[in-house]
Amino acid sequence: MALSSPSGGVRRARQLLHVSVLAQSASPCGRFLAAANDFGEIAIFGLSAALSAEAKEENRRAVAVVRAHNGPVYSLASTERLLLSGSDGEIRAWSWAELGRKGCRELWTRRPPCRSSLEVPEINGLEVNQRHELRGHQDLVHVVALREQLPQVLSGGEDGTVRLWDLRTGAQVQLIEVHKYQECSRPQLGKWIRCLATESDWMVCGGGPALTLWHLRSGTPTTVFGLAQPQHHALFHQDLVLSGGVGPALHLLQLSGDVRGKVPVTPAALRSLCLHPRSPEHQVLTVAGNSPKIDVFTNLGYRAFSLSFT
Amino acid sequence: MSSESSKKRKPKVIRTDGAPAEGKRGKGDTDQDVRYYSEESEVDLRDPIKDYELYRETCQELQRLMAEIQELKSRGIKENASEIDERRVQSCVHFMTLKKLNRLAHIRLKKGRDQTHEAKQKVDAYHLQLQNLLYEVMHLQKEITKCLEFKSKHEEIELVSLEEFYKEAPPEISRPAITLTEPHQQTLARLDWELEQRKRLAEKYKECLTSKEKILKEIEVKKEYLSSLQPRLNSIMQASLPVQEYLFMPFDQAHKQYETARHLPPPLYVLFVQASAYGQACDKKLVVAIEGSVEEAKALYKPPEDSQDDESDSDAEEEQTTKRRRPTLGVQLDDKRKEMLKRHPLSVTLDLKCKDDNVLHLTFHYLMNLNVMTVKAKVTTAMEMTTAISAGDLLSPDSLLNCLYPGDHGRKTPNPANQFQFDKVGILTLSDYVTELGHPYVWVQKLGGLHFPKDQPQHTVAADNSLSASHMELTVKLLRSRLQSRLALHKQFASLEHGVVPVSSECQQLFPTKIVSRLVKWTAIPYEDYAELPYTKDVIEAGLAEDTHLYYMALIERGTAKLQAAVVLNPGYSTLPPVFSLCLNWKGERNSSNDDNIRAMESEVNVYYKELWGPKPGYQLLTNQLQRLCMVLDVYLETEPHDPSVEGPKEFPQEKMCLRLVRGPLRLKPFKFNYPQGFFSHR
Repeated sequence: MALSSPSGGVRRARQLLHVSVLAQSASPCGRFLAAANDFGEIAIFGLSAALSAEAKEENRRAVAVVRAHNGPVYSLASTERLLLSGSDGEIRAWSWAELGRKGCRELWTRRPPCRSSLEVPEINGLEVNQRHELRGHQDLVHVVALREQLPQVLSGGEDGTVRLWDLRTGAQVQLIEVHKYQECSRPQLGKWIRCLATESDWMVCGGGPALTLWHLRSGTPTTVFGLAQPQHHALFHQDLVLSGGVGPALHLLQLSGDVRGKVPVTPAALRSLCLHPRSPEHQVLTVAGNSPKIDVFTNLGYRAFSLSFT
Repeated sequence: MSSESSKKRKPKVIRTDGAPAEGKRGKGDTDQDVRYYSEESEVDLRDPIKDYELYRETCQELQRLMAEIQELKSRGIKENASEIDERRVQSCVHFMTLKKLNRLAHIRLKKGRDQTHEAKQKVDAYHLQLQNLLYEVMHLQKEITKCLEFKSKHEEIELVSLEEFYKEAPPEISRPAITLTEPHQQTLARLDWELEQRKRLAEKYKECLTSKEKILKEIEVKKEYLSSLQPRLNSIMQASLPVQEYLFMPFDQAHKQYETARHLPPPLYVLFVQASAYGQACDKKLVVAIEGSVEEAKALYKPPEDSQDDESDSDAEEEQTTKRRRPTLGVQLDDKRKEMLKRHPLSVTLDLKCKDDNVLHLTFHYLMNLNVMTVKAKVTTAMEMTTAISAGDLLSPDSLLNCLYPGDHGRKTPNPANQFQFDKVGILTLSDYVTELGHPYVWVQKLGGLHFPKDQPQHTVAADNSLSASHMELTVKLLRSRLQSRLALHKQFASLEHGVVPVSSECQQLFPTKIVSRLVKWTAIPYEDYAELPYTKDVIEAGLAEDTHLYYMALIERGTAKLQAAVVLNPGYSTLPPVFSLCLNWKGERNSSNDDNIRAMESEVNVYYKELWGPKPGYQLLTNQLQRLCMVLDVYLETEPHDPSVEGPKEFPQEKMCLRLVRGPLRLKPFKFNYPQGFFSHR
């Protein structure tokens, strides 16, 4: 016999104990942050309201929580008008303008083709561009990144490779087998590539292997960052590499390989780092991971406050 | 009869005349009437003035004679003897004249007197007549005035007004023709009418009196009948007792209970009434009874004078005792505390029977000065239960009813006004006395109809029936489910301590047939130990682990891998699922903060518990959760990728069927078991 009203709260309390925020995305206007968790919810936070001088406790909570998918939402991406969310085998698009209101429904749902019904692929990485079917990875693709100057896309996956694809032809241009390189491979952790970021000619990738900075033209690792734990997400920012992974810390790394800072964060492990280039303050970084709290940094040196999923 | 003596005796002459006249009269009494003085007839003829003149003359003559006599006598008596005799004879004649004159005078006088007397008499008679007449006149005047003032009694009678009279009176009485003209007749007619009306009314009055008498008699008869009925009814009741027992309808018993219930204090009374009503209407397995001493309860409500006397006596005694006992203030304070915490001598017991014959006994007490109710619980099981060591606390009376409603610890008194009372006697909290007094849970107060708003003292909180009624059903259901869940847990613990996870047949489909990991140890741990574990901090921060909860440690092993699970058991057990925190010791220590898969395993039991509830009351949640933990540990260990740097085969060959080993950005293992197909997939 279950009492109806407290059970919702009971379940929610336990869910929040185990929630992971898997992806974040900034709104086009720069005022909102969308965060998606592994229970299929997308929460919209009023970031500029929370950053303002008179911010109160309510501002740190979600403005709206949308039940986006039945399964976990693995990735988010934003365009000028739309927010795309990727889950088990489907991509849904939401209008940024309507996300704040109640009863928001997705604009469209696309199902990318899958070979068999049992293996419904999860959409791990979303970047906005045209679609081609890019075949090549042996195992699941963890992360996708677009190169800026060249019309290429990089992908990193479970099989331990980073492949570059040409967007116009759909052909694989380059293949880097990260785990084969002695400097960075860590066989006891595995060979999977989870995080990938690229800037002009440089690429940083990591996961099972150590986080390494690669020079793409030559395809060689230049710097291996000495971080013991696998990293889940990395970003290039100004002249730093920001990365987060297992362990409650955000790492600020210099391109030379020195660890400039290790900032403590609330989640026990970080999964998603999001920079907000268009927000009124210049340097706003939000990080999220294995916790219902999302940390907001206005200065990369310390955590300013946390937004919380409810 | 000398002349001097006759002169001197003149005034007396009359008398002496009268006397001898009388003397003579005495002799000749009969002659009196015949004796008639001739002077009487002469009186009228002679003139009194002449008689007076004659008298004067005579007197002068006499004087002269006397003088001559004297002279003569002086000359010598012998010479003038003849002249003296002559003069003497003359003087005698004069004396005779005088006598006659005297008589005449007397008779004149007498006549005069008689005439006066007569006249006087007449006057008197007239006077008398006048008086009489005057008197009569006065009398008559009085009579007249009386008559004029006479108020006939008829004027005192309030007569009906004229209009009404002419309206109502029948014409033979009212005779309007005559009476309108003559007021006397009118009044007479009115009086007639009045008389007639009064006669009618008098008759009616008599009739009413007789009917009243009749009715009184009837009442008497009926009263006697009724009074004779009461003892007969009693005898019938007595006679029906065996029948009641035979038919299991203990009306008499119930009646006696209601009698004692009248002495209950209001909250206990409300509880008693509501519980009996609920028991009769909805729940045959709920039995309500009253225990305690009724005399003591009656003694609490003695009349004021007695209690005042007692108070003054006890005051005097107290003064004495305080003087003697001054050093021991503590004892006094203790007494005051005992007084404050005094319980009402009567208590209400509720026995909740469950389907499997286990009984939960609840005894409700009322603390009079604090106006709160407390409850003590006891469980009697149908059969002897082997007590598992870890299950010691499950059925302990202290914690059995903890948190029946969320947050209801029963350690603090729910009545905010009690704080002030406690301050006076130095009691810190009620929790020190809970073991002997019972727990003052909030639902107990609500069952007794006492509603204390949070943190706001109120003057009086009176017992309210509707509050009790609305909570009764829910509370009884919660109590039953609490008892049953505890008993179920008791049984489960007994089995868990032996290393066997009891999974019922309905739940077999949640798990694969072969699970290699085994439960090795199951112990109860205190809250402090739980709090010290490094991997339980999240749970405590999330507010899911408090000191009212029960804590256990389970150890699951497979090969070299040891999984420690710290379990928080909420008192509201199966509706509020237990929370597990895991720590795996295998090639290093892994827990939820450094291994996503361990976190996923935790969420498998903590978040996805709905499928694990099992059949309806859901008491198998804990054992199903433990079984699931064993299952996911198997999957974890078997799907661990082979580490090429380590030599030798994998410690745990993969036996479970899994579609994909890694999924999602978290790279989770497949922990979800799909029933008929028997493979593992991701959620």
